[in-house]
Amino acid sequence: MARTSSKKKSPTRRPREAVRLARVAKGHKPQYFSDPAIDKLLSIALTLAGELAVTRDRLDAVERLLEQRRILSPADVDAYVPGPAATEARDARRAAYIDRVLRAVQAELDEITVAGMPRSQDEVVAAVAE
Amino acid sequence: MGRFKPHVMVPDASHDEGARQDFVKALRAHLAAKVMPGAYAMYQARVEPAFRAAHGRPPRDQHEVRRVMEADPYYQFWSAMQRRSQELMWESVIDPTERQLPELVDRARRLSRRPKGRLRLNPDLKVPRYHTAADIHLQPGGYHTDFTTDDVAAGAIYDLGVHIYLNGALGPQNNAMGQLLTQYFRERFPGRAPAAILDMGCAIGNSTLEWARAFPTAKVHGIDVAAPTLRYAHARAEALHVRVEFSQQNAECTDLPAASFDLVVSHIVLHETSRGALTAILRECRRLLRPGGTMLHLEIPRGATPLEKFMYNWETYNNNETFAGFMTDIDLAAEARKAGFVPERVTVDSYAPRMSSEQKSYSDSFAWKILVAES
Repeated sequence: MARTSSKKKSPTRRPREAVRLARVAKGHKPQYFSDPAIDKLLSIALTLAGELAVTRDRLDAVERLLEQRRILSPADVDAYVPGPAATEARDARRAAYIDRVLRAVQAELDEITVAGMPRSQDEVVAAVAE
Repeated sequence: MGRFKPHVMVPDASHDEGARQDFVKALRAHLAAKVMPGAYAMYQARVEPAFRAAHGRPPRDQHEVRRVMEADPYYQFWSAMQRRSQELMWESVIDPTERQLPELVDRARRLSRRPKGRLRLNPDLKVPRYHTAADIHLQPGGYHTDFTTDDVAAGAIYDLGVHIYLNGALGPQNNAMGQLLTQYFRERFPGRAPAAILDMGCAIGNSTLEWARAFPTAKVHGIDVAAPTLRYAHARAEALHVRVEFSQQNAECTDLPAASFDLVVSHIVLHETSRGALTAILRECRRLLRPGGTMLHLEIPRGATPLEKFMYNWETYNNNETFAGFMTDIDLAAEARKAGFVPERVTVDSYAPRMSSEQKSYSDSFAWKILVAES
């Protein structure tokens, strides 16, 4: 992942070795939570969420192709471009999926917006003790 | 969501690469429409009341807001997810760019064989510290890093990345800001036909080309400090059959002759520079303009209330827009006057386009700022 300088005059030849691009930006990385492990866990969780979305999209492509042709090759799936109906279905499903995965965040917001939300578990315990 | 392919220099996406890009778009849309507004709600519901209870008054400025908001669990979670969405965005475009890089480099070389425009690089140019200290917008390698000979990767990554960043709102060729500023120029100065136009900090030339399209007989010149981005800009312009001259220059001190342009523009560039650079760039604009020439700099609003200012400055602390924070309090008109522009001929205009909830980033209200000065 070496960063080469552009100082030298460029010869017009094709690069021989596969070039590796950087994946991490230079700069200070902020810490958001009291424990840096939480930052890493959240990052991993979002990446997993993304990969699951990718897998679902791929499965969707496979199912549609199977239905269409009854024959399947990996190249078929690579070449598949969702049409308007599939795109609409995918967009709706993806948005619902993100709602579901990120429910924990929405839940915290609901605590202040939903009427009659108990302030503590003690309050609930006290309510059923009556 | 269809694939973004307005010209041959944009990297293709395999099925899974495209699905990853779609996920990032959907995640960012969710964060913008459903999670970010919650930060405002949390502030009203618990952060501000707690501050009042402790101090007997609301937070005075964005810095006091920062201290309490950064301790709020909801804000922390939004912020951490927003940061990760930005990283995932770049990752989703770096994979396909890396895979196709040899072909992209070859394609750029072929496109520049019999060019309509021109590309002039300066290997001795020192890339300013506001680029090298931290990678702007978290793009790994920034605009300026060469990873291979005749590299165009930074430009390709940027082109596809900004399309995803704004969920396509930057237009079919990422050209919405160029269209917005050309439109503004025509409304503000009807009948004007500039013969020579300079676009400072042009990056991939996505806005530059709009000036060449709006004024086909004009000589249009784009400058930037970043070589791989400029190589891409040149190839992109050739692929789209638009004649533009690109050269690698620092806008603080170009090698272009004095009084050689009727119009000098930039599109959300100033807030990526530095205190010293801002002054130098405005002075350079003045030097480059002919008498009667015009300078236009498009800038991003930075919020009105302490809370809005704090939210807009998320970019400063979390997305390597290091100078954006200072821009909150800088009087652009005063800066232009300091650079030698006549006070009566300097204005800062506000321009508000319509936006959908998915395009909102840090606030409900959004109006572009345009610094206008006439030479």
